[in-house]
Amino acid sequence: MNTSWDNEKLTISLEGRIDSGNAAAVENEINDVMKEKNPSALVLDAEGLDYISSAGLRIILRLRKKHPDLSIINVKSDVYEVFEMTGFTEMMKVEKAYRKVTVEGCEEIGRGANGTIYRIDKDNVVKVHNNPDALDEIQHEREVARLALILGIPTAISYDVVKVGNSYGSVYELLNAKSFSKILANEPDKLDWCVDEYVDMLKRIHSTEVPAGKLPDVKETVLSWAKFMQDYLPEKEGKKLLDLVEAVPHDDHMIHGDYHTKNLELQDDEVLLIDMDTLAVGHPIFELGSMFNAYRGFFELDHDAILSFQKFSYETAEKFWYKTLAKYLGTDDEAVIRSVEDKARIIGYTRLIRRSIRRGGLEDPKRKAEIDHWTKELIELIDKTDTLLFENDLKQVKESKELDIEAVEENLNNVMAFVDENLEAVGCSMKSQMQIDIAVEEIFVNICKYAYHPDKGRAVVRIEVSDDPVQVKITFIDHGKPYDPLLKDDPDVTLSADEREIGGLGIFMVKQTMDAVEYTYKDGSNILTLVKNL
Amino acid sequence: MLDIKKKLEGSRLEFDLDGRLDTITAPQLEEEVKASIDGITELVFDFSDLAYVSSAGLRVLLSAQKTMNEKGSMVVRNVSDEIQEIFDVTGFSDILTIE
Repeated sequence: MNTSWDNEKLTISLEGRIDSGNAAAVENEINDVMKEKNPSALVLDAEGLDYISSAGLRIILRLRKKHPDLSIINVKSDVYEVFEMTGFTEMMKVEKAYRKVTVEGCEEIGRGANGTIYRIDKDNVVKVHNNPDALDEIQHEREVARLALILGIPTAISYDVVKVGNSYGSVYELLNAKSFSKILANEPDKLDWCVDEYVDMLKRIHSTEVPAGKLPDVKETVLSWAKFMQDYLPEKEGKKLLDLVEAVPHDDHMIHGDYHTKNLELQDDEVLLIDMDTLAVGHPIFELGSMFNAYRGFFELDHDAILSFQKFSYETAEKFWYKTLAKYLGTDDEAVIRSVEDKARIIGYTRLIRRSIRRGGLEDPKRKAEIDHWTKELIELIDKTDTLLFENDLKQVKESKELDIEAVEENLNNVMAFVDENLEAVGCSMKSQMQIDIAVEEIFVNICKYAYHPDKGRAVVRIEVSDDPVQVKITFIDHGKPYDPLLKDDPDVTLSADEREIGGLGIFMVKQTMDAVEYTYKDGSNILTLVKNL
Repeated sequence: MLDIKKKLEGSRLEFDLDGRLDTITAPQLEEEVKASIDGITELVFDFSDLAYVSSAGLRVLLSAQKTMNEKGSMVVRNVSDEIQEIFDVTGFSDILTIE
């Protein structure tokens, strides 16, 4: 009989058959080891156990008297049936044997705070957890992934738990997927596309309301970092850091917590969010803080280090981060973007310094230099910052839906169906609905007729519904010729029928019935926005 | 979708419209009007079952009104509140005879 001893925990391996023939001998053997070690926790490893009779089960019951938290692991399925039939699985922790998987030679496709993701075959990936005792962690991740999926965030949910060496792994189906890091590394011309998709997903996460109590509050975590920093910052800055974090209001919207491009996967045409174990609720500034670290903070003094992590260069990371922030904030104004970045840096540096110090960074000259650099930056930032909040109308957006469609008149009915479906969902009055329909028809048909003439092209119709005020915003984007329909002169609606021109009414009706109509031409796109208060 | 029912009584022509009068369906109505307007002195549109009129629909109505101004009269009947609102905004309430 093999035993292993780890930190007051005794693991006893059961072998072969335990029946009335050898039960007494097995029990004596176990008792001898117990006497010798006097463990505070006891685990029975049933990996080699082929059969157990009631005599064997009685040994376990007696052991359990002394060790109520006794657990049995690696149970073969035949033996598990015995434990199940006899009710043992309800009395104590009995774990089935996990399928064994090796990741040797497998491609690493992602790495997060708690584990590394490998592709094990064409259709499956496994996340190997850093923590060898990760079963609770796996359970947690499965629960939050399920919650996210229910709340409308596209993600993968693990369907199996396996053993990888001494660690546990959770298995996911992920067909033909590649991470956004890989796309950025290998297809530099797709950077803008990646920014668009990445920010769309980020906004989707940040506008998802989470029922109370389902996810941890990130503010609590950041507060604990700020408290830790009290010993490493001058008193004035330490106090102000705490105040800044304290002043961030509670927020029930979701944040991912580790939102970088390795955790976003493109599977066929679908974008999937993975590595969900850090999911929380809270203000988006906390998310931006950890995003800053993933592209800049970690690598500020060692630009090459990002290559081994993300496979793309520091320059790409900088560009991607800046464009992401610009798109997320909906502005090109560098002063605004940099000011929000500074707020994110406060969170980012706080986290980095604490993390490095806790991992012994002060004892290592290279890492000590990093800590000093981050601390100096952090002090300057705290001195010039009075709030971590920033202008962000995101909170009001309840839902955003998008239709990407060929701009031809035959598609008008599809566009109308898309718009009406979304309007009906918010309970829009008949009158408003007709006015919106008329406006949508007008704009879409305009794009069909003129934007790409004589060629054809696509149009995006995005509908956003917000709560306060109750408002619907519809955005049309095409990549055709620059054309501002709002410049058209209004028709004289007081003229008689004979004096009136046929046509020219459409845009006028749009202007009359919507609460706001805006046109901009940006980066080769016509962007027309309709806003209607409901 | 637009369902057009035509009733001809001598020189009186009535169109009963059922559905939506939009970019897709307006050309249908325009064709029907053009094809049968010869010799008509009284043109009637019944909107009892019409749910929607966009500017493409308004264009057909305006063009029919212009034609009828030369040779008789035109009436639009049973207009819903929502469509009436569209007529008001666009000044069509003053152009059309709405019953």
